[in-house]
Amino acid sequence: MRPFLAGTWAILAKEMRIELRTKEILVTAGLFGLLVTVLTSLAFFLDDDTARRIAPGVLWVSASFAGVLAMGRAWAREREADAIRGLLLAPIPRSCIYAGKTLGTLAFVLIIDAVLAPVVGILFRLNLATDLAPMALILVLGTVGYVAMGTLFAAMSVRTSARDLMLSVVLFPLASPGLVAGVVATREVLGGAPLSETVEWLRILGAFDLIAIVCGLVLFEPLMSD
Amino acid sequence: MAIDFDRVEVKGLVKVYGATRALVGVDAAFDAGTVTVIEGPNGSGKTTLLDILGQLVRPTRGTVRYGDHEGKSRALRAQIGILAHAAMIYPDLSARENLHLFARLHRLDDPDARIGALVDRFEIGRWGERPARTYSRGQLQRLALARALMHAPRLLLLDEPSTGLDVRAVERLERAVEAERERGAIVVLITHDSALADRLAERRVRLRRGKVVKEKAA
Repeated sequence: MRPFLAGTWAILAKEMRIELRTKEILVTAGLFGLLVTVLTSLAFFLDDDTARRIAPGVLWVSASFAGVLAMGRAWAREREADAIRGLLLAPIPRSCIYAGKTLGTLAFVLIIDAVLAPVVGILFRLNLATDLAPMALILVLGTVGYVAMGTLFAAMSVRTSARDLMLSVVLFPLASPGLVAGVVATREVLGGAPLSETVEWLRILGAFDLIAIVCGLVLFEPLMSD
Repeated sequence: MAIDFDRVEVKGLVKVYGATRALVGVDAAFDAGTVTVIEGPNGSGKTTLLDILGQLVRPTRGTVRYGDHEGKSRALRAQIGILAHAAMIYPDLSARENLHLFARLHRLDDPDARIGALVDRFEIGRWGERPARTYSRGQLQRLALARALMHAPRLLLLDEPSTGLDVRAVERLERAVEAERERGAIVVLITHDSALADRLAERRVRLRRGKVVKEKAA
């Protein structure tokens, strides 16, 4: 277990150091998410009732688009100067490359989520303060599974030519259970339902997270070995 | 558990990518303290062979034996170093930060001392504090050499390491390879630079269309 944790920590620290220096992922993916949020709010805003019904979709579309951009950029770093070969050659469990990259990207996407959610609240005139805890829980659960699955496919795309296209085409259908559960749970919470009534959707999100993480840890090494 | 070996032997190595047969039954052996140059035209399977030796690619068929050890393992990877045309580093990190990262991944006992020795050996001066993105080709290659030799690997794989280097940088590379050979490393070099191959090779293996067509002592 110690080699796994040490390797994961080393790769996570590297991700953070590079991002602190370049701010590349947070700025590009964050601005893209904000742009999607603003444009959709302008296009779809009709009245307060419609806004409440549309806001969950806008939030998740913005977050998922920004997320896919963040995952692509995170793996582009490994492609540049062929750094990924250096990692694959290191005497660490290869699954910790996946774990470190996933944790790093998760941190970036959660920061972007934390910016997008209040912006959606302002643009759609929602009082998110009353639903802060359930909203945060849904966003975190939804983002964990989405990033865990996306990181695996983004890693595979490092060795393909149509990498961004492949990532989007493969990821969105496979991540749809988590995205659908996230949108519906957010809609229920914003519609005034107590958290207990969304518990089934939270269970789906939790199960999706678990499946995505286990698949990523197990499949990363065989997928990256050829 | 640390392992060691004096010989790497491949037998009946086949690698197929879709409809492309990159290697078709390669047999070869590489010994400690010897520089073996692998030659051949583009597409002859040289890099595929190197990637298989480096445990980066699985062969479709055939075996690779590292002394008494076979198969893939972390302990074996700890004994392999690769230097290629691409530096395999992070351009947004400095030389020292890159070296610290790989020292951590290799779980070296005294990383600072090892990095200090490599910084001195490869004359990584003040420029080593800047992000690697700003380095010249020669500086990048010095950093890549330091990275590849960080853990004093038993098997050193060099894939076109002299591409784009000036005369002084090639001389530095040669000195480093000579030093590794004298240390007892198994050195396998792919190069199209025939002058460099003439100076360094003790054995030459020629590949064509994924097969060994000639093998001789230099």
